[in-house]
Amino acid sequence: MKFELMPMFWLALTLGSYGFSRWLYRRTGRYLLSPLILVPAMLLAVAVPLHTAYAEYSRNTHWLMLVLGPVTVAFAVPIWQQRKLLARHWVALLLGMLAGSAASIASSFWLAKALSLDTALTMSLVPRSITTPFAMPLAQDLGGVPELTAVFVMFTGVFGALLGGILLKWLPLRSSLARGALFGIGAHGAGVSRAREVGSEEGSVAGLVMVLTGILNLFAAPLLNMVF
Amino acid sequence: MKRFDVKRLGRLLSELAVLLALYFLGCQLAAWWHLPIPGGVVGMALLLLAFALGWVKPSTLQLGAGALMAEMLLFFIPALMSLLDYGVIVRDDGWRILLVIGVSTLLVMVVTAFTLEAVCRWRVRYEV
Repeated sequence: MKFELMPMFWLALTLGSYGFSRWLYRRTGRYLLSPLILVPAMLLAVAVPLHTAYAEYSRNTHWLMLVLGPVTVAFAVPIWQQRKLLARHWVALLLGMLAGSAASIASSFWLAKALSLDTALTMSLVPRSITTPFAMPLAQDLGGVPELTAVFVMFTGVFGALLGGILLKWLPLRSSLARGALFGIGAHGAGVSRAREVGSEEGSVAGLVMVLTGILNLFAAPLLNMVF
Repeated sequence: MKRFDVKRLGRLLSELAVLLALYFLGCQLAAWWHLPIPGGVVGMALLLLAFALGWVKPSTLQLGAGALMAEMLLFFIPALMSLLDYGVIVRDDGWRILLVIGVSTLLVMVVTAFTLEAVCRWRVRYEV
């Protein structure tokens, strides 16, 4: 309650811990210190002992989420820059994204059902394998909770980026297309930066697949609404 | 460290303003035409169209677009804090949710990679 006196406290803490974590990650390169993990951990470490409600936290910070709209617009730049790659491999990429998305939606849905999670949770899990600016509106559309979807997307990214590195060692993948797409579809933002470490071609493919899978899933939403 | 550069900052802010304007335009069009897709995607389609018609070069927006995409994480951190209200879900369903995410993510990656690998090998063999 006493933080009511400092209306900008949570905004300042969010921006501050993000800046700090980004600086730290650049210096150390340690995965556990990446902003994706460290920032939520730091914020929760302050907010949970103070019994802060989400409404209180988001009063001065919710506008940050509005910026995800312009981020979507910005995705046009990498798509355009990779248009040659897309023109050459669009059939392979489309098939891969369709198969991957189908696997994602079906496995999330049936696993959630099998573990008897409720409908709102299930529908927040279904759009989990696409990048946040696309996943949140899709969750809204399907009757899930967009904020929860963002949380699940984050866990998917953290886990997927780790898993991708292991899979790359075990799977006999000769094409950079398959190696890049694995990161782009399975671990979105976190995966794209990992894929860039593997190779520049893998990085480009991962970025392209991340954005295109998001678009593909959005257009599939009316179809999904009929099925579920 | 980079020196504070007024020119660069001005350029960044104007590029961000253009992207923001495209977003609002996209939202308006989506509302007018009752499109079932978010305004951001309409804005992206408009920008792609502008690139294709040669009205705008991607390099003129690269700074702003790059900054937005690089800092994307910052913009969904507030959504992550919704966990504050879902303590009960975390306690009761947390392990089940993580299991779904883990198994499903593994499946997605393997299926996507093998599909692409199969298509690529098929293309090499038949030289399509």
